[in-house]
Amino acid sequence: MPFLEVRDIRKEYPGVVALNRVELSIALGRVHVLAGENGAGKSTLVKILTGVEAPNRGEVLIDGRNALEQHGLFDYIAYVPQELNLFPHMTVAENIFMPFNKTGVNRRLISISALYKAAERYIDRFRINARPDQLAKDIMVSDQQLVQIARASTHESFKVLILDEPTSSMTDREVQRLFEIIRGLRDSDHAVIFISHKLEEMFELGDEVTVLRNGEKVGHAAMGEVTEAELIKMMSGKDIDMDSVFRPIRPAGKRILEVRGLTGPRYEDVSFSLHEGEILGLAGLVGAGRSEAMQGMFGFLKPKAGEVLVDGKPWRLGDPSYSVAHGMLYLSESRKEHGILPLLSVRENIAISIFGDTATAYLISDARERQIVSDVIGTYQIKTSSMDKKILFLSGGNQQKVIIGRAMACHPRILIFDEPTKGIDVKTKVDIYGIMKQLAEQGMGIILVSSEMNELQKCTNRIIAMYHGRVNGEFVTERMGQQDLLGAMIGARSERNEVS
Amino acid sequence: MLPKRLTRLFRNQLAGVFAALVVIFVISCFLSPYFFTPYNMLIIARALAFVGMITIAQSLLMIMGELDLSLGAIGGLCGVLGGIMMVQLNVEPFLAFTICLLYGAICGLANGLLVTGLGLNSLVVTIGMAGVYSGLNLVFTKGLAITDIPDKISFLGQGVHFGVPTPFIVMLALLAVLTVAMQKTPFGRYVYAIGNSAAAAKMLGIPVNRIRLVCFVIAGFCSSLAGMLMVARLGTAQPSIGEIWVMPSIAGSVIGGVATTGGIGSLGGAMIGATIIGVIQNIIVIFGVSPYWQSVVSGAIVVLAISFDAISRRYIKKEE
Repeated sequence: MPFLEVRDIRKEYPGVVALNRVELSIALGRVHVLAGENGAGKSTLVKILTGVEAPNRGEVLIDGRNALEQHGLFDYIAYVPQELNLFPHMTVAENIFMPFNKTGVNRRLISISALYKAAERYIDRFRINARPDQLAKDIMVSDQQLVQIARASTHESFKVLILDEPTSSMTDREVQRLFEIIRGLRDSDHAVIFISHKLEEMFELGDEVTVLRNGEKVGHAAMGEVTEAELIKMMSGKDIDMDSVFRPIRPAGKRILEVRGLTGPRYEDVSFSLHEGEILGLAGLVGAGRSEAMQGMFGFLKPKAGEVLVDGKPWRLGDPSYSVAHGMLYLSESRKEHGILPLLSVRENIAISIFGDTATAYLISDARERQIVSDVIGTYQIKTSSMDKKILFLSGGNQQKVIIGRAMACHPRILIFDEPTKGIDVKTKVDIYGIMKQLAEQGMGIILVSSEMNELQKCTNRIIAMYHGRVNGEFVTERMGQQDLLGAMIGARSERNEVS
Repeated sequence: MLPKRLTRLFRNQLAGVFAALVVIFVISCFLSPYFFTPYNMLIIARALAFVGMITIAQSLLMIMGELDLSLGAIGGLCGVLGGIMMVQLNVEPFLAFTICLLYGAICGLANGLLVTGLGLNSLVVTIGMAGVYSGLNLVFTKGLAITDIPDKISFLGQGVHFGVPTPFIVMLALLAVLTVAMQKTPFGRYVYAIGNSAAAAKMLGIPVNRIRLVCFVIAGFCSSLAGMLMVARLGTAQPSIGEIWVMPSIAGSVIGGVATTGGIGSLGGAMIGATIIGVIQNIIVIFGVSPYWQSVVSGAIVVLAISFDAISRRYIKKEE
């Protein structure tokens, strides 16, 4: 009998049916992949599985009992969100064991040494690279993710672990470490629900998969009995050619950007050039200094040394207003902190960049604004029931499209995309690749910072690898071997790193 | 439960606060026959004018994610400087008035430069600057009021048009101009954007520090305007002017839907909140609440008003 089961679930929000007739059956001792595009209803389903929201209709059974009536049953289900949710200024041990009353910690007075000792057990079990007394903010992002997972498992009665895109900020080695831990959980009679967009991971780790699309369950299969193509078709409703390439086909034009010896807090002596019509990839491990170098070039952070030339003319550094006004835009990898204006609507988010076109004299023309915003929504196929919807209600992929559409309105010549498809479903990813290719073919120069080899290979003309803040290799994508790029990313130095 | 059109009306952010105001107003009418009289309405309007100007300035800063606790002190200082110029230096009253507005802008600029230039937290900086400005106030006056403010200027503070006090009209004009600026100009949108996420705004190329400075300057200007009008009304420049304006400006803004963290709310909402506080303070006195209890009662009613708004929002969410 499945440990966690939902039947005939229906969940509505104003104006939208998020889930309809969804059923899911989770058995202990298995890794169950939950797949689907952004907006398919995965997050909503998770909220119902953890008891955060109640369905409008349907049953939720945990261990055979009705969880909607016995809310305490939800204690068996642990959820690890995609976004890091730790207390940054508290120690690893405290983060693992909060809330104390549910995790068996001595209730009256907390003995710090006992706490640390107990934490050590979890640190070992989850192979976390940290000491119990370290502050959460001081450890690596991938270890923070593991602390979150450890925290989820300290609950006395936990049986089912839901992981929401846990590998989005992890390198391959860290991913493998995580997978071993998940397999350990599975083998010790727990159930793991694994939400991911990465097909390779699904096949490597999963025992079975359930696919949601548009709020409905469209498929369920054992992992060994379904192909990648079938999965994609279930998720998106279409056949998407995963092998197609999105490299701009026009030969690169004149040199538009030249960076020399750029140096700043996390990067040193970065030099490269970018041409019109090309997509330049920036590869490297998490923490290699790519975002910092790009933010330094853009002006969000001020570099310590170095120069930037655009069209041969010196570029003012440390001034993002100057960069935007002169056609250089940076799309940050943290959508929530640096991208969207969280409390405002879709319209207000898009409109913030287009006042040149909508404001006559000093006042904004409502009609012009609605028209341009609606054009942007159409061009980038942003899924939203209305332009006045709060942007927080949009899926991550659609939020990203808003950010891109808005950037286009500034008529940029140089665009820096920092991990643009992080946490985004396959179909929207492909949409974004298409957008980038089109923009490059219209004459823009694009820099794509990415941690996904596949993505870099599909989309870029050239790739630069960074390691520990320094440029460690330059490649022409078509002629490059994957091993060479990987090697450059992890610090190997060889002649093959230099482009011919 | 409720008919659909009523629910849609309630969804408007301001509806909850406005309803609270109406309820308090109606209750006040029952509590005292003297409440809803032209004379009393005039008193309320006149007091509200001054607090209102500070509230408008404060809500502008709060939407941007900042706070200025020195606005009252700026008003007081500029009023006193105006008094000194008119009485002791014999400057022509209207010229003195204008120069004082400039002083206010300069004080605002000082606050703004400390916040943007040194990256200091505005709450902390302005507590300190409030001390500086009110201290300067005492230095110039040595604690004594400046009397004999020329009559030429008193009409600004004491005049009444169609039963409405002049300062109230000035406050309404200020509200109208700034509301248009906030809702219909790029500048206004940038202020909201900065309140939402200063980092995102910076990434978009919005000149964040420049807009912050402008807002602090506007706030300083509004404060000195209030201070000068108060001097014109009283006919004397008292060093104590402005002390009571700051707390209601923050409380009123919060009641009216402006979050202390910034990014949402409106100047109009803040004014409704300030009006609620003004009405409460008025009815307490008329109703004859013992002076010792006045502060307890007014504080409790403010909490009730905020709760009413929060509960009505939760009710709306449940309906959905």
